Amino acid sequence: MSFIEFILGVAALVSGIAVISFRNPLYSAFALVANLLTIAGLYALLNAHFLAVTQVVVYAGAIMVLVLFVLMLLNLKTEQGKQPGLAQLATAVVGGIVLIVTALPPVLSRFQGLSSHQLADNVRASEGTVQAIGQELYSHYTVQFELSSLVLLIGIVGAVMLAKRKQPQLGPRQGGLLKGE
Amino acid sequence: MIELFILLVKVFLVMNIALVLGSLCTWIERKGSALIQDRVGANRAGAFIESDKWFVKPALPFVRMMGWLGVINTLLCDSVKGLWKEDFVPEGASKFLHAAAPIIAVLPIMLAFAVLPLAPDFTLFGYYIHPRVAPIDAGLLFVLAMGSVAVYGVAIAGWTGNNKFSLLGSLRAAAQMISYELPMGLVFVALIVVYGSLDVYTIVERQGDLLWGFIPKWGVVMQPVSFVVLLLAGMAETKRGPFDLPEAESELAAGYFTEYSGMKFLLFWLGEFCEIALFALLLALLFFGGWHIPWVKLPEGVWWAALVGHVVLMTKVVFFCLLQIVIRWTLPRFRYDQLMNLGWKMLLPVSLVNLAVTAIIKVLV
Repeated sequence: MSFIEFILGVAALVSGIAVISFRNPLYSAFALVANLLTIAGLYALLNAHFLAVTQVVVYAGAIMVLVLFVLMLLNLKTEQGKQPGLAQLATAVVGGIVLIVTALPPVLSRFQGLSSHQLADNVRASEGTVQAIGQELYSHYTVQFELSSLVLLIGIVGAVMLAKRKQPQLGPRQGGLLKGE
Repeated sequence: MIELFILLVKVFLVMNIALVLGSLCTWIERKGSALIQDRVGANRAGAFIESDKWFVKPALPFVRMMGWLGVINTLLCDSVKGLWKEDFVPEGASKFLHAAAPIIAVLPIMLAFAVLPLAPDFTLFGYYIHPRVAPIDAGLLFVLAMGSVAVYGVAIAGWTGNNKFSLLGSLRAAAQMISYELPMGLVFVALIVVYGSLDVYTIVERQGDLLWGFIPKWGVVMQPVSFVVLLLAGMAETKRGPFDLPEAESELAAGYFTEYSGMKFLLFWLGEFCEIALFALLLALLFFGGWHIPWVKLPEGVWWAALVGHVVLMTKVVFFCLLQIVIRWTLPRFRYDQLMNLGWKMLLPVSLVNLAVTAIIKVLV
């Protein structure tokens, strides 16, 4: 493990904890951005350049900007003195355990018997270049890839439809402003 | 060890090239805008400097000339003034975020320079040198990614301003930057289709060939529509020119940086000017052959050829900086709905059709 990997790993952990410990939702959002960026850095160190850049473009660059703006516009105040109830705590603990139990074994079994060094070398050798990923996407996983793009398209059309439905009443030109009200 | 040294030298040089281009743009902006508006412009600071010291005397004519041209005013006086100004933080704003915003606005722009090559490869003292800090294969995507990270600087700046003008300005800026990233990404895809590579270096190298034996295979010849789209999208992305709605002073005071003063304010400007240089560099590399001179083939791998190539590239970059600044000072500002219409109803469909046509031609030929 190189020095930079160590720093990025620590930063990822610290920012991850910060996401759930800040009282101000906006700071949590910033911590999440930092977390996504550090993980992108870890991807880059594992030679998965494409994954790293995509992480920055999609998560840090697009999704989190929208989240941030919603938070800014709502102007939420810092939660004060509000302790999470027992039910909430129990749900969080059980949910976390379920996630770990279901998600970790398949990942671990894939890399069983490998030290962390070997693991990192394996990941590095598996080539995260654009070419390698493109080759995989368009040869082995063509149908799944095209299907997921179709699902995304449906999502976009749906969002536009939902936004359009209310326009006749709310459009600025039909509203009082331009009719001299 | 020597590798690390070469890397550090590269980082130093690229940073400085970015900063020098940025300051050059500042000077062109001040003096050029004066020229366009039939004013004199900055011409006092240092223009009448006197000294009897023997070691200053020989340089005096040069210093006076620089003063008269406004160079001293823009580069020295402005920054010293910025350093000594009161550092104002609005009431109720987070001090940390207020200070972080200008840094977040500048840093991604500087990082984007890391993936762009500034000269052809060459060998010096037996060492093979690739004049680029981070030779990653997804270089163009990285530039896009940094553009989207730069939105944070603006967004945070607007929010910590703690007033409506700032927030409106940052909302406009974010919407504008995200909207214009789409046609920009599509332009990059069209270029990747034409040159068959994601790597900026390879794209530039392939522009050295000739089309049908006599036309240089420059991006502007192969993709004229993409060039126009990228020029417009780049100018919108820098939040300048006819697209400076986020800081429209007649409507929003100064938009997202209304509450900024001193060096923090200057940092936003530095970021903006470096972004102009970044887009000029992108246009020169992707559409105007980078370091290639049409019909001239420089020897490969020789240091002086790389130097000539670098000078050629920088000439093109300065030309595009100049072009962007001239457009900024000649055209009136768009209305906000016009800006959004241009982005979503003009540039996006045009770049989509352009991409489809490019792909069909690529398959047929």
